[in-house]
Amino acid sequence: MFLTRSEYDRGVNTFSPEGRLFQVEYAIEAIKLGSTTVGICTPEGVVLAVEKRVQSPLLESSAIEKIMEIDRHLGCAMSGLTADARTMIDHARVTAQNHAFTYDEKIKVESVTQAVCDLALRFGESVHDEEAMMSRPFGVALLVAGIDEEGPQLYHTDPSGTFMRYDAKAIGSGSEAAQSELQDKWYKRISLFEAQKLSLRVLKQVMEEKLDHHNVQLAQVTPETGFEILNEVKLKEIIDAM
Amino acid sequence: MDSIAHPTQRQFNPYSDNGGTILAIAGADFTVIAGDTRQSEGYSIQTRYAPKVFPLTDRAVLAVNGFAADGNMFVKKVKQRLEWYRHAHSKDMPLRAIARLIQTMLYARRFFPFYVYNILGGIEEDGTGAVYSFDPVGSYEREACRAAGAAQSLVQPFLDNQIYFNNQQPAPGTSHPVHLPLPTILSIVIDSFTGATERHIEVGDGLEMYVVLAKGRGVQGLEDVRGVQELSVTEEGERIFVIRRDLKKD
Amino acid sequence: MWGSQAGFGSLVKGVPSFVIPSVPDPAAFLRLHTDDHADPSCKIKIQHGTTTLAFRYQGGVIVAVDSRATAGSYVASGTVKKVIEINPYLLGTMAGGAADCQYWETYLGVHCRLHELRNRERISVSAASKYLSNLVYSYKGMGLSMGTMICGWDKTGPALFYVDSDGTRLKGNIFSVGSGSTFAYGVLDQEYRWDLPDEEAQELARRSIYAAGHRDAFSGNTCNLYQVKEDGWQFIGNYDITKLHYDGPGEAPGNGYGYDIRVEGQTSTDLPATAGQA
Repeated sequence: MFLTRSEYDRGVNTFSPEGRLFQVEYAIEAIKLGSTTVGICTPEGVVLAVEKRVQSPLLESSAIEKIMEIDRHLGCAMSGLTADARTMIDHARVTAQNHAFTYDEKIKVESVTQAVCDLALRFGESVHDEEAMMSRPFGVALLVAGIDEEGPQLYHTDPSGTFMRYDAKAIGSGSEAAQSELQDKWYKRISLFEAQKLSLRVLKQVMEEKLDHHNVQLAQVTPETGFEILNEVKLKEIIDAM
Repeated sequence: MDSIAHPTQRQFNPYSDNGGTILAIAGADFTVIAGDTRQSEGYSIQTRYAPKVFPLTDRAVLAVNGFAADGNMFVKKVKQRLEWYRHAHSKDMPLRAIARLIQTMLYARRFFPFYVYNILGGIEEDGTGAVYSFDPVGSYEREACRAAGAAQSLVQPFLDNQIYFNNQQPAPGTSHPVHLPLPTILSIVIDSFTGATERHIEVGDGLEMYVVLAKGRGVQGLEDVRGVQELSVTEEGERIFVIRRDLKKD
Repeated sequence: MWGSQAGFGSLVKGVPSFVIPSVPDPAAFLRLHTDDHADPSCKIKIQHGTTTLAFRYQGGVIVAVDSRATAGSYVASGTVKKVIEINPYLLGTMAGGAADCQYWETYLGVHCRLHELRNRERISVSAASKYLSNLVYSYKGMGLSMGTMICGWDKTGPALFYVDSDGTRLKGNIFSVGSGSTFAYGVLDQEYRWDLPDEEAQELARRSIYAAGHRDAFSGNTCNLYQVKEDGWQFIGNYDITKLHYDGPGEAPGNGYGYDIRVEGQTSTDLPATAGQA
């Protein structure tokens, strides 16, 4: 088994005889090293919550950025090699703006997710054109949250370029425990406030440190205010209410 | 030798003008988009039936006027982009999105323009009737009515007067209606084209009027119209009808 | 191109690409077929003609424009929106080719938005106008025609820049662009002060556009008035220029800007009734 693996896990675009792409599978493994990230979809909007691992007391925790805005109606949280996410999110932003320019309308959540996933497969050697742009797969998974004419939606993308829609999803190191907790606690008519509290409760369970407003970040996309990273005051309120 | 070098001037002239006229008028919950069917070059008529008005989706109709070859190619390309959009986003493109798309497509030819005047009509996402008019390189604007083509300068002042009530004083104690009913607009359209046919040599032969009705509006105003033909497959959603009339053929 | 990019047409490569005719001199080709100043009988008539103005003052930036578009001597439209709302705190004006202004100022809006997402800070008016000026300069000599004012409010306060398709970019307090600009300047220069109150500033802009609409055949129909303040722009109103002539901007009739209204019954050809009898 080890032998077959080592022979087929060098080339990023070579299938193993069992039909596996090892580099892509390893990339998916890389996400499990990342900090835990949770997304919850509700009828009132979508909530994103991330754990910020403050590795050093000298690290400025406010500089850790794991939730980003794609457009007013779209947000994104990441886990894994977050540097890779920059390329993807910039692509998502450009795609959202190009869509708005070409069609004078907001891009759909699914369409922007699809655009990011199209990018995920552009690795490997290319034959005489510029289709390929990276030497390896991305090492990051994203939770794309947004609202369009079909209502609030949450999508999960992984390095294989696969994306799926979820009612609630956890990624990162604590994802297994977190996901089963979400499966237990999520219900269809969950309110935004309940979802905020649930996301923090789930994070709290899988975090090693004690959860406070320095080591988590909470964001939401709602029809009223669009994408918004909750400020310290609002975050504290939810932590206290939890 | 007898060949004396004469100065010669050559120029690339890929355009010609095929005449005809188009117009569109928006109502509260419907839009009428019409065009004549004559196609001419200079003083000779090439055909008496060359459509200039094309349904794009269940709620959008595009009228093109100017150089017929450019116009037909442009409509073909718009339809292709609409299909791509449908596959990519699993829905029909909304009217205002089609309007913006047409701008970007026309402007992509800014340095080699399509000689085409476009008028786009249909139903907006909010259920209102809408008309968008374009210049050949893509500047556009939403309006309530617009005429373009050979008889633009004959028809537009008539529409300004009949639709916008320009230079009309309402009777004391009354005011002009904001939106006209469908039968009134249909007769204004027919009058515009019969008038233009009489006074413009490039207009005539046939008239095609497309009527787009908003979702759930019902067909009131169309029941008594002779020869009206429905193009939409279902009665749910927006509905498109076409009405054809003869115009003078001389 | 494939997948999610397929719908973007000429924009797939990030910057728009254009079809160019295969002739030795594409600019001459374009001039031959579209320039109605050089050749009134040319087929493709691009909409032209304008009066636009903007000025900086104590209360922000006032922007006022007319609404007439002409193709040759035909009034192609009397309802053109010549103030382009780039985003909630930037305005651009339209003079020259209507499509050039609409397209490139919308495109500018895309880049202003990307700037603000990438830098977590709004773009300055100076940077936005320079982006536009560099953009149109790269097409210099190809036949673009635009004279625009980029108006907004940033960290430096109210800001106003003039940008045109020759590549000129000027920072200033007062600009007027278009065929009717000389008439507008006449009124504007006379009455302008930095410390104008809001109401007076708006009135000055309206009065200037009226003057241009009255004397310039290529300008007219209505006046659109905007004001930029610290929290973004605001639409003030749309004014019929004919109504401004007879009645002025208010509801009360007879307070028009037209001099024939002011001097009615007081000229040698139209003497006041009492003077004629005396």
